[in-house]
Amino acid sequence: MTLALVRRGIVYLLLSIAAFVSIFPFYWMVVGASNTSADIIRGKTSLGSALLTNATAFFTQVDAVRIFWNSGVIAVVATVLTLAISSLAGYGFEMFRSRVRERIFGFLLLLLSVPFAAMMVPLFVMFSQAKLVNTFAAVILPTVASIFIIFYFRQTTKAFPTELRDAAKIDGLKEWQIFLFVYLPVMRSTYAAATIIVFMANWNNYLWPLVVLQTAENKTITLILSGLTAAYTPDYGLILFGTVLATLPTILIFFLLQRRFVEGMLGAVK
Amino acid sequence: MAQARLARREHITGWAFIAPALILLGLFMIYPIVWSLWMSFQVGKGMNLSFGGFANIVRLTKDPVFLRALGNTFTFFIFQVPIMIVLALLFAVALNDATLKFRGFFRTAIFLPCATSLIAYSTVFKSMFAIDGVVNQTLMALHIIGGPISWLGDPFWAKVLIIMAITWRWTGYNMIFYLAALQNIDRSIYEAARIDGVPAWARFWYITIPMLKPVILFTTVISTIGTLQLFDEVANLTAGTGGPSDSTLTLSLYIYNLTFKFMPSFGYSATVSWVIVVLVGILSFLQFLVARDRKPS
Amino acid sequence: MTRLSMGWKRATAVALASVSLFSVAAASASAGEISVWVWDKAFNGDTMREAGAIYTAAHPETTFNVDDTASQDDIRAKLQTQLLAGSTEGLPDIVLIQDDIAQKYLQSFPGAFEPLSDSIDMSVFAPYKVAAATHDGKSYSVPFDSGVTGLFYRSDYLEEAGFKAADLENITWDRLVEIGTEVKAKTGKQLLDLDLNDTGVIRMMMQSAGDWYFNADGSLHITDNAALKKALETYAKFYQADLVKPVSGWAEYTGAFTGGEVAVVPVGVWITATIKANADQSGKWGVAPIPRLDMEGSVNASNQGGSSWFLLSSSDNKEEAIDFFKTVWAGDKDFYQDILIKRGAVGSLLSAREGDAYKASDEFFGGAPVWQNFSTWLGQIPSVDYGTFTAEVDSAVQAQLPTIIQGGDIDAALQAINDQATQQMQ
Repeated sequence: MTLALVRRGIVYLLLSIAAFVSIFPFYWMVVGASNTSADIIRGKTSLGSALLTNATAFFTQVDAVRIFWNSGVIAVVATVLTLAISSLAGYGFEMFRSRVRERIFGFLLLLLSVPFAAMMVPLFVMFSQAKLVNTFAAVILPTVASIFIIFYFRQTTKAFPTELRDAAKIDGLKEWQIFLFVYLPVMRSTYAAATIIVFMANWNNYLWPLVVLQTAENKTITLILSGLTAAYTPDYGLILFGTVLATLPTILIFFLLQRRFVEGMLGAVK
Repeated sequence: MAQARLARREHITGWAFIAPALILLGLFMIYPIVWSLWMSFQVGKGMNLSFGGFANIVRLTKDPVFLRALGNTFTFFIFQVPIMIVLALLFAVALNDATLKFRGFFRTAIFLPCATSLIAYSTVFKSMFAIDGVVNQTLMALHIIGGPISWLGDPFWAKVLIIMAITWRWTGYNMIFYLAALQNIDRSIYEAARIDGVPAWARFWYITIPMLKPVILFTTVISTIGTLQLFDEVANLTAGTGGPSDSTLTLSLYIYNLTFKFMPSFGYSATVSWVIVVLVGILSFLQFLVARDRKPS
Repeated sequence: MTRLSMGWKRATAVALASVSLFSVAAASASAGEISVWVWDKAFNGDTMREAGAIYTAAHPETTFNVDDTASQDDIRAKLQTQLLAGSTEGLPDIVLIQDDIAQKYLQSFPGAFEPLSDSIDMSVFAPYKVAAATHDGKSYSVPFDSGVTGLFYRSDYLEEAGFKAADLENITWDRLVEIGTEVKAKTGKQLLDLDLNDTGVIRMMMQSAGDWYFNADGSLHITDNAALKKALETYAKFYQADLVKPVSGWAEYTGAFTGGEVAVVPVGVWITATIKANADQSGKWGVAPIPRLDMEGSVNASNQGGSSWFLLSSSDNKEEAIDFFKTVWAGDKDFYQDILIKRGAVGSLLSAREGDAYKASDEFFGGAPVWQNFSTWLGQIPSVDYGTFTAEVDSAVQAQLPTIIQGGDIDAALQAINDQATQQMQ
């Protein structure tokens, strides 16, 4: 009994250390948003009184509504499309195995490792020929079929009970119906995790939007923040206020979806 | 006859499920990649390119910067990936315990680093690890070190710092995959094992690990690729230089420099990219071999 | 089940609705609007806006769209991707480029930039600025800010150690090390802050002797480069005398001197605004000429950074842009007085130096006529050819710095720099 208590104590201690280390930079960012640039550089770690100044400076320098709208549209549309297309493919690769498709899958995994910088120039040529430079479509389209997410869905589909699919078949459901009405609800935790991952990746996407989005009114918050930090005399108070705002959507989505990781999924269905 | 027709239909349905993804990938990935493969046989600067055969590969073997970047990338890979995977797995299992208090808090806290913007986190890391920053002050107060460590000014410590930074940022990210996967394990298996008197470590080793194998494989492959393509952390913590003295220069940062910072030699940078592809190919193959898929069909 | 499929339908509907958003207007600038890429809102952004406003006042049909939302590195990445892709669709009309990388663009992408020396008289600008963007006998840029260097120093710290402003006039770097040692003994402050990932100080030392990494034919000038050798030796001396506060990155670099941790900052004039942003330090700063290397041919003037305007050949508004350059940037002296006062931008138009703003003294710097001084030094900067491979050699130099500061052999380091750079330049 005491041994169990000690062990539990150690778990709490380690988790607390991890939580502290994890939260500190975030705390610093929030505190920074309330301090002046000079105080931040001096390493001040307590709350300051410049929050309003920073906020005003941020909203006068940045067309916040427009920029967040851009980021939001790109991230939401990309997430919905990515989940749809990539989960279909992940399901397809795992449920319908054939030698050719296995080969294709292995080949895709290899492609996953091609650094993006190597593809950027040809991709730009394509979008420029299609007259899509400076559109959201150019930002979203290359990310939608994500090998990474296909791979993720395939791996988690391995835990999907085949009996469920067999039973549905006997009930006369077509394959697309099984996918929509059986697989999708059962795999909610996988979808929840994928939503967070994909949303975050698109929200923070940098290099490609930087290159294809040309005009200031089409840029995303990530691009704008990066530009602000590169000034000769960066206003860190303003920048940190912006980063706090930019981090909120991701955290919000995590909060909303995290209970999906707690509920037992399979148990609920069986 | 009916059997054959059924198999044929299965076959077509299988293609139908993956077709949208394949079409998009063909357009936005395979086409550019083939292009870059072709480019890797070109030599020259900027727009003045000509066919050079294997000249770029020969150049690779003699390029001290490339060899340094390759060495650094491997160092990061060998030390960082195992540490992070093990940490993420332990956190996930600890947080999966329904009797644990403040689970939501811990979960969110450990997830936070990967949601925090790169700008904020690189700025705070730099200030924490500055020569008179809070880390050095703490270590000196505890008499662990005699004088301050120049974290970003010393080739060895800069590598250590990068490893810490990546681990800090991505552990919570990997934890999400494990947390989600743990939900797919049937609780009754644990109950049965517990009643049979199987100790906790054995339940972890003989039930959790095997059940999580596909996801562990997934995260390992993804982390391998992520580490071999490591760019963001290094670029932001060292102002894009991979310094000091190229000690944190990664292959990806080198590719970026070759394409954007130096006289653009696109063919050569494409060749370096293909080195990453080959490395990942070999490593992923080994990882798959180790965790051979044993799904009962 | 139904609820779920409803959710799915709704998601699809949202996705489809958003597709209509995809067709946001393409980048092609509307006729009569000149688009410009710059990287710092307060400095080159607002300066260009002001220049544009002056021109628009006289020519209402021509307007300006100045985009300052990207960093300099980002602008380079965007520019290079599009030039490599051979696509001009997303490019602006005018782009700001730093002088030391101008040749890289001019030589890698022939035809991408418009030659300007045929239509604009380049002799009105500081010659070293024009030289940086001259290729095959034609000049491709309208010079903007000068990177003329000065030794910014904390007069209060130096006074505490018994030094007057005159003690810093026309000194060598070796003398500065001696002064720094005394200042440290008296005040406990380090002499200066340095970043091992930045070769700025080494380059300004080298340029003060009229030298650079390359010979006139573009070949490497490293192992026999006396100025570079001297510069590296001096760099090592700072560390061996323990006068350096090591920093990493821009925030720490500026933080060290705005936070009062170091006694001097050898840097380009464009740092003035950053230093003056700390109003509470008014009167505690001074500016002396940059020290020279202890060798023949080195002068007390050099350059760090500085950039110029380039006109893209793909622009639809070339005539307007050239006329704009001519009337404002190559002709309007008052404009230059204005940007000096408002933005601290030291332009490169020689005749602007006669203006009133340049003669004024500055209380922040103890009432010294700093702008007059800077423009005097500006005229003394030795012209050098930055060549096309400066970034490559810079990174080769950086690779040797940790060894050098620990007392490593300089000749061996020069050889290693030479070897790495040779490899990178093929």
